[in-house]
Amino acid sequence: MSAVTAPLRRSREAAPDPRRHLHVVDEPVIRHTLAYALVMVAVVGASVFGAVTLNALAAGASVEARALDAHVSEAERTYAQLVADVASLEDPARIRETALELGLVPSGPARFVTLERNLPADGAVVATERPGATQDPLKPLLSVER
Amino acid sequence: MTGPSRRRRISAPRLRTRTAGDIGVRRIRWLLVIYALIVLMTVGKLIEIQVINADTYADLGVRQRARTIDLPATRGRVYDRDGDVLATSVQAATIYGDPRVFRPTSTPDGIAVPPAADAAEVGTQLAPLLGMDAAEVTERLERDAHFVYLGRQLDHEVGAEISELNLPGVGVLQEPQRVYPSNGLAAQVVGFTGIDGEGLQGLEARYDTVLSGQPGMLVLERAPGGLDIASGVRELVPPEVGTDLVLTIDRDIQHVAERAAMDAMEEHNAVGASVLVMEVATQEVLAMASVPGFDPNTRGDEDRSTWRNRAVTDVFEPGSTQKALTVAAAIEEGLVTSDTVMSVEDGIVVSGKRFTDSSRRETEEWSVSEVMERSSNVGTIQIAQELGPERLEDYLRDFGYGAPTGGAFPGESGGLLMSHEDWWGTSLPTIAIGQGVAVTLLQAASSYATIANDGVAVTPQIVRGSVGEDGRLTRSAAPSEHRVISADTAVQVRGMLEMAVAGEAGTGARAMVDGYRVAGKTGTARKPAEGARGYSGEYVATFVGFAPVDDPQIVVAVMLDEPRPQFYGGLVAAPVFSEVMQAALAARRVAPDGVGQGLRQAMAVARLQAEERAQQEGPALEADDIASPPVGSPAGGDGTGVSADEP
Repeated sequence: MSAVTAPLRRSREAAPDPRRHLHVVDEPVIRHTLAYALVMVAVVGASVFGAVTLNALAAGASVEARALDAHVSEAERTYAQLVADVASLEDPARIRETALELGLVPSGPARFVTLERNLPADGAVVATERPGATQDPLKPLLSVER
Repeated sequence: MTGPSRRRRISAPRLRTRTAGDIGVRRIRWLLVIYALIVLMTVGKLIEIQVINADTYADLGVRQRARTIDLPATRGRVYDRDGDVLATSVQAATIYGDPRVFRPTSTPDGIAVPPAADAAEVGTQLAPLLGMDAAEVTERLERDAHFVYLGRQLDHEVGAEISELNLPGVGVLQEPQRVYPSNGLAAQVVGFTGIDGEGLQGLEARYDTVLSGQPGMLVLERAPGGLDIASGVRELVPPEVGTDLVLTIDRDIQHVAERAAMDAMEEHNAVGASVLVMEVATQEVLAMASVPGFDPNTRGDEDRSTWRNRAVTDVFEPGSTQKALTVAAAIEEGLVTSDTVMSVEDGIVVSGKRFTDSSRRETEEWSVSEVMERSSNVGTIQIAQELGPERLEDYLRDFGYGAPTGGAFPGESGGLLMSHEDWWGTSLPTIAIGQGVAVTLLQAASSYATIANDGVAVTPQIVRGSVGEDGRLTRSAAPSEHRVISADTAVQVRGMLEMAVAGEAGTGARAMVDGYRVAGKTGTARKPAEGARGYSGEYVATFVGFAPVDDPQIVVAVMLDEPRPQFYGGLVAAPVFSEVMQAALAARRVAPDGVGQGLRQAMAVARLQAEERAQQEGPALEADDIASPPVGSPAGGDGTGVSADEP
């Protein structure tokens, strides 16, 4: 500590601000310490609760996802097994054996019927007015004109 | 500043006595320095970890927590042409054990630790579920290993039941199992996979990379207790399902072909039989049957020789079925027509060897059509002599002889056809009538399909296409085509082949199909002796033909290996052709082109059936039809429409 500075300090003390005691004093601030602490506790608590909740939700979603995965896997397994079962039931040898057990007999050769006249479904043109309609011998029986 | 004052300042500390406060301050300063150094080191390490090597440490952390699960790809299915499943995969249970659980251990301090479970007790509980002996299960659990299989590819329900038991040291894995729902249907064509899902035989092996797909991967972060970390990494690389394969096989026709082949094999005491059904225009194989067959689901119990797809792996001398190709080549070269009349003697000598027909006769004036109808060896050799070796070989190769057909047939043989430069004196006559040359049944069917297809050869196909994830059928590449003979020649040969079935002297009367005009040719050839020159006493009987004649749709080829005592193609193979062709025409909804069975044909068939019964029941009595031929010799000249085609 230097001795040179002492006079300066004294001179500062010797010349105080004459208006120092005249400034406007603010209304004393009321510090709600307890409320502040409660708010902080609430905020922290909410944050912790939120984090835990989010984590729990994520865990729950993860468990649900795993359950859904398992469900999908089981459904796929069942589908594959059913496909195999259906194919097995459709096996021609099994059907033949079952049919014989039921007393059915093998069919003979296929027979084909050849129509003398084409049907409309085969592209035949159906006349809207047949020339010989009036000479139809059945018409008197089937018509109101009889 | 002056000199004395400097000395005073320097020497002052030496003279000043250290107070307790000075020492405290000094220590605090040292502590601060140490703390600063520690903080610096910590910050430096943090920078190294968090900044410089951040990625490396992150990876290390993930590796410690992460668990990678391999996701096997589901193997693609195999369908027939109508979408019926021939091969598919289901989930099966694999049971494993950890023998360490059943062994006593000791701590590092040498304290003995008893086994966690009793192997015999666990083995007793597992044995009935695994279908094994309890002693065997116990023996496996007591092996000096970390992992043993107790059962593989068991039913899913068995795995679930074992899981519920919660046995110590026993675990259950899910793994795919290949199943063939139709058991042995088209087994040699489809093939099978190994226990690990790799293709081993047939199309399963040939298209293994297409069917197997790409395995996936699931990466999870797990806590030390094994539970998943909810907010951790979850990386999924889904497996790519294998591509489905659609074959050209028709399941119903395949079944009929296999049944007919099996019946014929048993009836004629043959060692094997093959039937091949093919669509004419596309040469798509509708059925490819080989008997005896096997069930790929239980292939371990089957004879390995039954795994062979005889229709493409086995070669045989085509016999008289070859004559149609020889005559077609001669017609195409303008040497003869179907109406050309030629003098056919009783025999012909070539290079010192005499070739005759099956029965003795006088010299006849026959048209080429009659030569075919009667399956005359002499007449065919005369025609082949005009054709010459070089042109005969060229045509046979054009028809597909001597090389694999080019389709995707696993294990396909190319047959045997020597270059004409290596032929010797008797090669031309023997090859012309179907001996000295060997073909597969596929090649025989393909050559007849070429004739039926107006002379255009098409590469046979067994795979119609594939079905990807979009569910759409992607057709296989279009098969190559090339013309072998003209349409006019093909029509002439078709007419001759029809007469070989429906003609009075035709050898293939039993191949007729009610309501359809059928064309085809019988074949009977001796089998070469094994391990020696010459021929054995065994025969191969064949029949190849197509229908309807006017607009051929279906080709059927039949081969019986070593039938006894009857061995003629017209007697043993032609009926199989008729049965299979009838079913194929009905299944493909091909309209008939002929008339129904007339009275004459019905009588002929009834007489043939009576002959068969008589041969089976014993020697013919006088009261029976005197035209009944003796057992083992060809029927002929009795009005039955059947004659021998044996050279």
